[in-house]
Amino acid sequence: MSSSAVEAEAPDLVCQLDSVQGMVDALSAVRWKRHQDAVVELSEHGVVLIVEDTGCLQAKVYLQRELFVRYEYHAEGRPRFGVSLGLFVDCLNSFSAPGRSSMIEIQYPGPDMQLLIKSVDSLDACIYAEIRTRIPDTISWDYNFEPAGSTPLTFTVKSAALKEAIDDLEWPGSSIQINLQPDPPCITFKGEGHGDLQIDFTYYVNTDLVIAFHCDCQVSYRYKYKFLRATTSNLPSSVIKDNRGSKLTIGRGGMLKVQHLVSVARSATSHPHIDSAGHQQPSRIAYIEFFVKSEVDE
Amino acid sequence: MKFKAFLTEHGVNLLERRFLPALDKMGKICHLFLTRDHAIFLHNLLNGDGVQCIAQFRKEALFDDYRISSQNEDRIAFAIDVSLLLRAVRSSVSICTEFGNGPSANRLQIKLVKKLPLNCTQPMPFLTFETKGYKSAVIQDVPISKPLSRAQVLELQTALELAQDIPRTLVQVPDSNQLQNFVERMKQVGDLLNVSISKYGDLHVQISTTLITLGAEFRKLLVIGEQAEASSDDRNQSAQTRSERAISRGDAQRVQVSVKHFSRSLHCHLAKPDCTFYGIAPHGSCLTVIFQFFIPGTHQTDKSISLHCRLPVLDPGSS
Repeated sequence: MSSSAVEAEAPDLVCQLDSVQGMVDALSAVRWKRHQDAVVELSEHGVVLIVEDTGCLQAKVYLQRELFVRYEYHAEGRPRFGVSLGLFVDCLNSFSAPGRSSMIEIQYPGPDMQLLIKSVDSLDACIYAEIRTRIPDTISWDYNFEPAGSTPLTFTVKSAALKEAIDDLEWPGSSIQINLQPDPPCITFKGEGHGDLQIDFTYYVNTDLVIAFHCDCQVSYRYKYKFLRATTSNLPSSVIKDNRGSKLTIGRGGMLKVQHLVSVARSATSHPHIDSAGHQQPSRIAYIEFFVKSEVDE
Repeated sequence: MKFKAFLTEHGVNLLERRFLPALDKMGKICHLFLTRDHAIFLHNLLNGDGVQCIAQFRKEALFDDYRISSQNEDRIAFAIDVSLLLRAVRSSVSICTEFGNGPSANRLQIKLVKKLPLNCTQPMPFLTFETKGYKSAVIQDVPISKPLSRAQVLELQTALELAQDIPRTLVQVPDSNQLQNFVERMKQVGDLLNVSISKYGDLHVQISTTLITLGAEFRKLLVIGEQAEASSDDRNQSAQTRSERAISRGDAQRVQVSVKHFSRSLHCHLAKPDCTFYGIAPHGSCLTVIFQFFIPGTHQTDKSISLHCRLPVLDPGSS
């Protein structure tokens, strides 16, 4: 193993990260069930992790190269590999210790196409991991999100409020209708099932919750509750704590795009003085996108 | 068969704040073995497959006015529910502090009794805690098993003697919190933990399944017992290669234990030991964890208290 490592060419990617917890948070956000296969795509711009469910729901985590302390990319094209998301997250979690920042190095591929992770901040105590990767499916997972018209149908709400609304809709269950109307500007979530529940976000009334609203004609689409719920079910607590907003866009055919921002800064506990001073690191954000296909009316 | 003693203030503190919370994590039921000189709490010594945990106190560490007599060389042993024992000690302490006037005035007496409980025809054995307050006395009865027979006591004594073998090499883990934290998270990934310990002062723990290998290596730890100089060639190797080489040279041993057992043994830190040592018993028979306690304010070992765990080995491994 050691000799082949010396002879081998430089691996596709060697990168270092000083906030494991941030990466765990970002990847956990797209974890909606126990066993999920993820595809990881590497490029000179960063790392993208994609998960998918029954052709109706897709989620992507964008970890841009700016999030990494060091990012050495040597591949041609965009290498992709499959990995178990749960195992990847649980493994990364082992590297994060509360109250201290832990620097890790991620390398792909290893001698046997593994994903290699090791801690690099201490010489006398080292944590390491090798995760078996798979050859990913060749079928395209691209959901081809396209805008519905000339003006985008989009609104931005506080992530906490969105999560709360979707959690509340669990009671009527099964199928949720999202309705956007321009005059008066209002977003309505409506569930009909075991009972009826309607949640309205009126732009002019809930200005602290609805941050932005663009809609020039009334639209209405239905989505399966379980897929809608997956978009907020594992939102990291840092998103709520940072009082972030989530952007929702309805595209052609009613495809819903939900975007969250997750902070990948060093844990606040290790730098309380920076945090209390309100210091922000604007580039240290992971972008998370969900695509939910609408239910087709018969 | 008689047992009666007064718990000292120090003894109450040791049990209530440190040892009983730790022992409670090791398992619900333990044996309490009382001899002329010692009180010993034993987990899993007679029924083999769990983590063995042995907490031994010289009588002076816990008691004064200690009186014991039995026809079996003044030895008494019985099984007791640790959580009930902890509750009894806790509430006795709260009564003492609430109603007592000065530490000497309220004394916590502990004794073995037989009582006829309600709705029972047969008297049952209890360990009774008696706290005398200013105007009242509070008595708490903790149910215990029937005292062990002469043969069972002998069996317990033999098991206790067998559990005293000390590994040839022990390494000191400086930051148990870090290890505990890591092992708690590691539990998510697999069930079996490979532990290797070298004479160079390396402790290497690893979980390996078909999908993942996850490990941690702690180097340059303090070694007690047999030690050796690490080869300089190994410096730039991976943790796994280093362990393999050390094992093949006969400078390290490796055993496989249950991650759950390992994490449970780390709960012994609730007893607030001053040092923790890991070692592999001769012939790889078990993974031994020895906790050391200092006399408060010194760096001298308090020989009146000892605590150690023995983790069953699931696979004899390379040894």
